[in-house]
Amino acid sequence: MLEMFQYGFLQNAFLAGIMIALVAPVIGVYLVLRRQSLMAETLSHVSLAGVAVGALLGLYPMLTAMVAALIGAVFVDTLRRSFKAYSELSIAILMSGGLASAVVLMSLNKGVSRSFTSYLFGSIIAVSETDLYVMGGVVALVGLFFWFLWRPMYVLTFDEETAQVSGVPVKLLSVSFSLLAGLVVAVSMPIIGVLLVSSLMTLPASIALRVSRGFAMTIFVAVLVGLTSVLGGLSASYALDIPPGGTIVLLLLAILVVTLIVKRIVSMIQARVGAEQDAENGNGVVRTLGER
Amino acid sequence: MKLAEMRDVTFGYGPTPVLERMNLSIGTSEFIGLTGPNGSAKTTTLKLLLGLLSPQRGEVSLNGRRADGRRMTIGYLPQQIASFNAGFPSTVWELVRSGLYDRKHWFSRLKKEESDRVEQVLQQVGMWEHRKRKIGELSGGQKQRVCLARALVTEPDLLVLDEPTTGMDTSARTLFYDLLEHQVRAHGRTVLMVTHDLEETLPRLTRLLVLDKRIRFDGTPVQFRERMDLADRPAPVPLYCCYDDHQPQQLVQLDAKSERVDRVEEGVR
Repeated sequence: MLEMFQYGFLQNAFLAGIMIALVAPVIGVYLVLRRQSLMAETLSHVSLAGVAVGALLGLYPMLTAMVAALIGAVFVDTLRRSFKAYSELSIAILMSGGLASAVVLMSLNKGVSRSFTSYLFGSIIAVSETDLYVMGGVVALVGLFFWFLWRPMYVLTFDEETAQVSGVPVKLLSVSFSLLAGLVVAVSMPIIGVLLVSSLMTLPASIALRVSRGFAMTIFVAVLVGLTSVLGGLSASYALDIPPGGTIVLLLLAILVVTLIVKRIVSMIQARVGAEQDAENGNGVVRTLGER
Repeated sequence: MKLAEMRDVTFGYGPTPVLERMNLSIGTSEFIGLTGPNGSAKTTTLKLLLGLLSPQRGEVSLNGRRADGRRMTIGYLPQQIASFNAGFPSTVWELVRSGLYDRKHWFSRLKKEESDRVEQVLQQVGMWEHRKRKIGELSGGQKQRVCLARALVTEPDLLVLDEPTTGMDTSARTLFYDLLEHQVRAHGRTVLMVTHDLEETLPRLTRLLVLDKRIRFDGTPVQFRERMDLADRPAPVPLYCCYDDHQPQQLVQLDAKSERVDRVEEGVR
């Protein structure tokens, strides 16, 4: 199995995968808690339009995808505030807009359909060295953001109004977070693929939320699940010659199902033990009363 | 000393104002109940006072400064905050500690005395035993107490609460009001609380405000009771529906003629 690392493209794929798995689940936890789970999905569709623009103009597609994602992120945040009562409308508007633009732009450039497939579903041969440097930059940016601002982000994520009253610059922080989410989505595309990138954000978060106690633990578990699925998924993708994006997401789903089943079994055992203890205590009372 | 002031404030979400020419002054060590029928702009008033909304006309100031550039410490407990984010993956301890994450703590760890204060506040609200539990595992009343602890840990000059006891049973409500009363009497804090529970709160309040687009009554609970005695006046004008557990929608007619209301209000002020 280890001989696969002699290939440069696989080394790139694994390096990229590890970097994405370190940041995507962290962003995912905040997205889920802020009830913005579909934002990653939206931004990935907008990024696809960016890739199409890049291909059409002969520019570096990850760069154009990042620019598109940044613009999309600002729009999502602005629309979310405009449609406060129906904030999911911003998601619907941009998702359809992004995909429609991508489809039209793709049709204008007939020669790129093959590379588009790799952007849609991910590819382990698609990661270039330039991609790695860009990813490294984005990962460093996300790391710095959360290292310095995790406290106000925590307050903001729990409740925006109390955050504002306690002096947190809610709008600035909210837009900054959306921009980072956009960047992470854009750089994740070569490996995971546009259609599945949001899964790497939200599925580890949903698994972590099920099993963790405390905020830091939730982030840690989400990253751990992300790393496990990415490394496992990439290995399986190479061994079985299947697309990495789908493999990673299927692995995540399998972890989620196993987590739910184990959690259910543990709850049942705890309930049974609790009931037995109650029964014992009840008998104890009867005995005590009887003795009296 | 005035902690907060609203001068001639008018506000509306659309063309029709929900609050008209509102004047309000809040001092130190007051326990103020804010009440009024549904849609009387109680929550809007709180949000204007806190700088979460901007008035269309008039001015809001906190401790002599405008709402945006405030310096005083404010604790805020929005309506149903606990149920809004019930699944938040934090322990009670983590959440209460986060009350201290103001600007000066963005980049620095909490000091020993600040951690001690978290413990002290948790003891005060009776949640110390539950500090390691996830907030999602708590009852509604317990969650509200945790959120109150989060607001109290900053040692606020002004504590603003929007219907904080919704969904609590009678004993939990009594405990909650006891805690608030203690904050006013023992620590000199000012509490401004939206409430419909006049039966429980009136004996504890130092001041009651009845709101319906503007302040219809502003005075002490004793003055309010005196006003209620005027209810047998001819052609009463119902100004406020008072809810209590035993008689839902019991109508309290504050006064007969709006002219008299205005005159008495001026006298009260």
